[in-house]
Amino acid sequence: MEKKLFRLKHYLYGLALLLIVLPRVALAQDEAAASPGFLGSIEAGVQGIVDVLNLIFYFKVGGENGMPFIVLWLVIGAVFFTFRLKFINIRAFKHAIDVVRGKYDSEDDEGDVSHFQALAAALSGTVGIGNIAGVAIAIRLGGPGAAFWMTMAGFLGMSSKFAECTLGQKYRVIKPDGTVGGGPMYYLARGLSAMGMAPVGKTLAVIFAVMCAIGSLGIGNMFQANQAFAAVSNVVPFLTGLSWLFGLVLAAIVGLVILGGIERIGAVAGVLVPVMAVIYALACFWVMLMKLPQVPSAIGTIITTAFSPEAVAGGAIGALVIGFQRAAFSNEAGLGSAAIAHSAAKTDEPIREGIVALLEPFIDTMFICNLTAIVIVLTGVYADPTAADLNGAQLSAASFETVISWFPYVIAVAGFLFALSTMISWSYYGQQAWAFLFGDGTTNIYKGIFLFCVFVGSVVNLGPVLDFSDIMALAMSLPNLLGCFLMSGLVARELTSYMTRLRSGEMLPEPQVAREPVLRR
Amino acid sequence: MSWLKRKSVLIPIDFSELSYQALIPAQELAEDSSCLKLIHVLAPLHPADPAAMWDTVSDEDRKQKVQDFTRDKLKEMGYDDIPIEVVIGDPTSKIVDYAQEKDVDLIVMLSHGRKGMSRFLIGSVAEQVVRLSHCPVLILK
Repeated sequence: MEKKLFRLKHYLYGLALLLIVLPRVALAQDEAAASPGFLGSIEAGVQGIVDVLNLIFYFKVGGENGMPFIVLWLVIGAVFFTFRLKFINIRAFKHAIDVVRGKYDSEDDEGDVSHFQALAAALSGTVGIGNIAGVAIAIRLGGPGAAFWMTMAGFLGMSSKFAECTLGQKYRVIKPDGTVGGGPMYYLARGLSAMGMAPVGKTLAVIFAVMCAIGSLGIGNMFQANQAFAAVSNVVPFLTGLSWLFGLVLAAIVGLVILGGIERIGAVAGVLVPVMAVIYALACFWVMLMKLPQVPSAIGTIITTAFSPEAVAGGAIGALVIGFQRAAFSNEAGLGSAAIAHSAAKTDEPIREGIVALLEPFIDTMFICNLTAIVIVLTGVYADPTAADLNGAQLSAASFETVISWFPYVIAVAGFLFALSTMISWSYYGQQAWAFLFGDGTTNIYKGIFLFCVFVGSVVNLGPVLDFSDIMALAMSLPNLLGCFLMSGLVARELTSYMTRLRSGEMLPEPQVAREPVLRR
Repeated sequence: MSWLKRKSVLIPIDFSELSYQALIPAQELAEDSSCLKLIHVLAPLHPADPAAMWDTVSDEDRKQKVQDFTRDKLKEMGYDDIPIEVVIGDPTSKIVDYAQEKDVDLIVMLSHGRKGMSRFLIGSVAEQVVRLSHCPVLILK
């Protein structure tokens, strides 16, 4: 009872914060202006922050038509780890599936959850509305060819994901209460300190934690809220002018979960998200089946436009940049966030959890994002001049609508749930980063900021939200990948040792060991 | 000077290396070691923590683990076994409430001294305990 009251008290704090801004928002709505007023000033504020961040992270390498520095950094990271670890993304794929199926689970190992549970927890953060809306944004900005580069980025990103989650598992800490603390904050600080670079490690860890705490407000919050509103208002037209109401309701639901401790909502979203993902994938296959004769040419379009310089404003480089950016945004490879969830897995082999983690970009980007891309290209809505103002979730919805008339409703529900579960997961990542900086006792301040941003994301236009989310998310890769580069030798050595032991039969799948106790003696 | 000694001394502990320093003055101020009591406040698990998401770790498990950890740690450091109360919630209010409920005579704790912005914005748990406690608080710096 006392516990409930305690949680309720903090929930009310959060709600109070929102109520303070409500009257002013309502006022702005009364003035009925599209941009001026309170909502307009929020938007101008976000835009101002974006302009400064652009200068720091987005300067172009190689002249006017070159690559933004931060995207180049991600590409280098993904390519480097793929070659350094000798195509781990291909050679460990089958083993990854064996591990997820529980063949190597052991109750005696330290940790909180099984390999499968850790992967599912991490996926609820990665499979967000980006899988529906992000792909549409990529195609809108970079042409169909961007989808090819997204797939490529997903494929290469499997290797950087492997590296960061292995490190997350290796340098996690088991707290006195038995729960696990892990993620880039820990492996940067502890891992680099073990290599005699303690000051560098500590600095990178703090930079990462700052980027992650702020970044979680973009990629895992405002972007999700923004596109959830786009998907829902698309089918509920009277909501169009009431973005502030949607924002308040969404913030209240997220608040109930993260402040009010009403974990049921989180659990429900956790169950519904995989169901929605399956329904979504089936619908994609249905659209492909309906337009089967055109499928080869759609795939052809995606591949050819990936290399044709006239595809978009930025040429082939433009499509590549947009593809990599949207892919990293969707599967988080190189950002380091997923390592926080993966470090909870019960295992004494860090490499094993890294191998599980490489399935994440595969499922998220190479599978789900690709399905969305093929549907969008197949239906041709993106190229229809009358639909030129559609972007994000609305473009995806319009594409499905040409084949399944009621599908925008499914997109609205699926998008809302994807966004909700992703927001809850990212509030956890952000909170861990915050706790690393300021201690466990003050996380309610972070939660308050987070809820306020849910509201901001719902009322602001896509442009500034996307820019802010992109920059802050990609900026996380700066300290994270730098640390991973420095520790890549260690990862490679551990991987070789693991693979040798796996091949020699020293590490038998657990049930087999149990069946033949003689082997153990 | 035994009339100055306290019958019930509460020592909030966060398991940082420094936080054990409070044990020494607490022992000196208490009548005997049976008058000492430790308290540790756990943060509630975030609903998206994989352990909470899959419900693999209960609050009871966490409390039990802390009990075991404390027993081993005190033994390792050469102290007598001191009972520990493990609660979940906001550190300040839990410490203050518990002290009141058990009618504690004295709270001994270490101030970690937050730096910069964090100190300005939040202050330390020790500071808040001083403000809200019903009994004397000894802060070590």
